[in-house]
Amino acid sequence: MEKTHGKIGTKEFIALIMLTVGTKLADSTPSILYESLGNAAWLGMAIICILSILPLYFLTKLITHFEEKNLIDITKLLFGRYIGFIVLFILWILQFHSLISSSAVYVDIIGSMYFTKTPIFIIYIVLMGVAAYGAKKGIESIGSTAWITLPWIKISLLIVLVITFFQGESNFMFPILGPGEMEILKEGTMNASIFAEFFFIALLATNVKNKRVYKKGVWVAFIFVSIEFILAFISYVMLFDYEGVKLINYPYHETIRYIQIGFIKNVESLFFPFWLVASYIRFAVGLYISALLFGSLFKVKQFEYIVPAISTIVIFLGLIPEAPVFSLSYFRVIFLYIVTPIILILPFLLWATAIIKGEFKK
Amino acid sequence: MKIKNLIQFSCLLIVIPLLSGCWDQLYLDQRAFVIAIGLDKSEEENTVKITYLISNPELSKQEGGASNEPNSEIITFNTPDLITSKNIANTVVAKAVSYNILSVILISEELAEDENFIRLMYDIAKDREVTKAIPFIVTKESTSKFLNENQPKLETRIHKYFELILQHGSENGYIPKTNLQTYFRISEQDGDLFLAPYATTEESDEEKNPEGEENLIAGEMQVEGKTNKTQFLGSAIFKEGKMIGKLTAEENRAAVLLNDTIDMEEILTTYTDPFNEKYRIGVRVMKKENNKVKMNLKKGIPTIDVTIPLYIDILSNHNMTDYSNSNNRETLKNHIKNEATRKIEKVVKKSQEEFKGDPFGWSLIARKQFMTIPEYEAFNWMESYPKMRVKINVEIVLGKFGRQDELPHLEEMRD
Repeated sequence: MEKTHGKIGTKEFIALIMLTVGTKLADSTPSILYESLGNAAWLGMAIICILSILPLYFLTKLITHFEEKNLIDITKLLFGRYIGFIVLFILWILQFHSLISSSAVYVDIIGSMYFTKTPIFIIYIVLMGVAAYGAKKGIESIGSTAWITLPWIKISLLIVLVITFFQGESNFMFPILGPGEMEILKEGTMNASIFAEFFFIALLATNVKNKRVYKKGVWVAFIFVSIEFILAFISYVMLFDYEGVKLINYPYHETIRYIQIGFIKNVESLFFPFWLVASYIRFAVGLYISALLFGSLFKVKQFEYIVPAISTIVIFLGLIPEAPVFSLSYFRVIFLYIVTPIILILPFLLWATAIIKGEFKK
Repeated sequence: MKIKNLIQFSCLLIVIPLLSGCWDQLYLDQRAFVIAIGLDKSEEENTVKITYLISNPELSKQEGGASNEPNSEIITFNTPDLITSKNIANTVVAKAVSYNILSVILISEELAEDENFIRLMYDIAKDREVTKAIPFIVTKESTSKFLNENQPKLETRIHKYFELILQHGSENGYIPKTNLQTYFRISEQDGDLFLAPYATTEESDEEKNPEGEENLIAGEMQVEGKTNKTQFLGSAIFKEGKMIGKLTAEENRAAVLLNDTIDMEEILTTYTDPFNEKYRIGVRVMKKENNKVKMNLKKGIPTIDVTIPLYIDILSNHNMTDYSNSNNRETLKNHIKNEATRKIEKVVKKSQEEFKGDPFGWSLIARKQFMTIPEYEAFNWMESYPKMRVKINVEIVLGKFGRQDELPHLEEMRD
């Protein structure tokens, strides 16, 4: 067997990003944009994609410049020990928070759409247990699992999208600008952190075979995910219209509940397992990144051993909110607003510091 | 190595029983599957009379049919909503009630006309088991009576019966093809009117409308012989989630022709023969492309210009006209065009004057005229529609003239 030394290749890296970010189109993320933009949510998404290009460009430029360093090392190097620590600590808090709130949303989806009688606690344990097992195994296992399952997950999504485009009504996309162009720009900018995962992926930079692979992986995955998101946003509107889509909590799950494949009805159980596997991978990556950051902050060498502890804390904190449907979506909206400026500005700050310090000349 | 593999494999086998889950397990033979829910107005306030049609899964077993159980059971009771009723039903039904394969929802006309009806409908959006893709039927009498009287003779598997009669009825345009999702969507957007299939088991005593064999609504069709009394014909019309009127079969066909969001296959109908008033020509009407709708909403009185492309096959020709003559074909074409336009215009007029809203899905096309939602909402389609000038233009393309396109000259034959 070929030795990989804890590093993943292009295929695995792309698959990993596509699943961690792509799964977001099938949770409550779309409804955040639909709430304010209605049928123009896909335009808002396009704005987010465009806005993300520049920070992503600065970030990849930095990462590729420093061979053998990931975002943690670079932040420490550029900002110094103390400021670097504070920045990384804030990042960890944000990442941990998003891990808790999004896992709680996923548990709510499973609990309210599929397993209504199963206690939330059990669902949470199973979800985080599987994810923690994956994260504990390390990034290679997650990467190869992602690569193996990617085709099937994306094929199932493609089938859903194609059926939706056929059964939907294209007239629902009009009036094309939804609530108006200013609103689209505003909401798009404020929610730009929907792609925050791309930022956190930079923490894994040293786990990728080399920096050329990293650069290629990020951009290929970015283009794929952008197209996927925009198409999904259009397809939900084509099925539910702009008033209906605002009322729905989880558009993807309502979609797979609604569509029919020929004479086959109730097809949701056909698509649900694929979504579930994608979610496991998403949280495995989330837990891994969280442990990695925590480990580097507090000098824990064997950070894989923190994963079980982190996942236990996630479960107990995630169970706290009462009436999760409302409180969680509220949390997530606030969270996105807070994270957005950080995600948009931090890469630029890092890059500017690197220039001032003359790092690029070395 | 082999032993290790074996152990690993047997570990996988042990996992299999866990797949069924622990809390959400579902035993098929311990479930009562509701096929149809009927909703009626109850005497008490804030409750509704619900009727369950529960099917017997044993009937589907083709072989070894030694069971003497009936194919379905019907129960009716009062309930505050559609979900708690599952528990109430268990006082009579031994098995746990499940909506998993619910295939149709029936509403009595009386309840559909109630202001608070839409509140009840949103229970369905909350229930986990029901899909919004199920159809929705309005019945003239109470739904409990409808379900009890409805005894299909040949299609005894009741879920199949509803599926087939709705499918074929909507393919030929006698009833509209719709589902709950469309009902919610149209009520929420507040632009168009919603059409639902109309059905009854009661025969109407009223005089038939002499104008044509299609100008009927469920109950008015005279059928003789030993068959099911149920008729699906025409549609109920809903405005803002509340029923406000009915369309006859012919009006429904016109509405479906105008509405591109409702699917329709082909219509078999008759028109008067332009060469002899006595006869009627049987035709097959098909719509292969969408209507061309032009709107001018910006200045003056808003206008709508609708062009309906129809493909027509001639099925019967009792006058034995020679259609190889192109002049005759032209006369026929113009005649059908005028007659179809007249019928459609009548429905449009009725919608503007009587219903004050369009069941044709035109608000969706009107949206393209606006750039933003606030602009569109300020225009207020529902309010503006009754005052609009609507121009209907039917384009006819003649297709086949039957397997044998030419007929003998009757005069010569009898000579």
